[in-house]
Amino acid sequence: MNIAPTIEGGLRIDPESDEDWHILRAIVLDANDHEIDLASRFGSLITDEKISEDWQDIVVPDLRESFTDDLNHIYASIEAAAACPKDGETPIWITPEDAFTWYSSLNQARLALEEKYRFGPDPELEAENRSPLRQEALLRSHFYCALQSFILTHALTL
Amino acid sequence: MPDTTTLTETETNVSTQPTWNVVVHDDPVNLMAYVTFVLMKVFGYNEKIATTMMMQVHQQGLSIVWSGELEKAEFYAQQLQLHQLKTTIEQAE
Repeated sequence: MNIAPTIEGGLRIDPESDEDWHILRAIVLDANDHEIDLASRFGSLITDEKISEDWQDIVVPDLRESFTDDLNHIYASIEAAAACPKDGETPIWITPEDAFTWYSSLNQARLALEEKYRFGPDPELEAENRSPLRQEALLRSHFYCALQSFILTHALTL
Repeated sequence: MPDTTTLTETETNVSTQPTWNVVVHDDPVNLMAYVTFVLMKVFGYNEKIATTMMMQVHQQGLSIVWSGELEKAEFYAQQLQLHQLKTTIEQAE
């Protein structure tokens, strides 16, 4: 997979193999792989009784809608690119306007993976005890983090 | 001169509105540069202030990133959670 900045201030992703498409599609799957959705997890942080009820009723649904919209957007971008003929170029474009949506989706995936696998600050230390599933999850998390760094450096603007 | 006494009563109006803190907590996922970026974007802080707060989150586990009235605290906390920072609101002591 090649990832490169564009002159418009975004990024282009060029998947080159089935494995590349697999890991890109896994972003949305990983983000949704949690019993409690992210908006509710954030909502549970607000515990003051003066605020928590309104927070649950008003803010959490807004967060949920926003997080879901972000995932739907990148799912559509990936599938649109995947549907293009195999012999032509099928880049996925991340425009500056899309940058936060992509960053958010990757973050949702990394938050869900971290909560599921608890990689900790230095996951390399526990390499011997790592199951294949955990190893694959860690590799995906590293890939998502690298893509986030590209987005942060090249596409996210204030 | 009449034998009278004038009593003067002074009343000072002090706001009894409690102060609320918006607190960002450390987490193992968010990139340090991203936390700085979000603090600049949401509050309009300059890079130096935002970086100082981010380092406080990283090194001490949390940082009070804003204090003031509840309504604004709720707004800022919502914005920070929208950017997926682990954020709470606490009444200042």
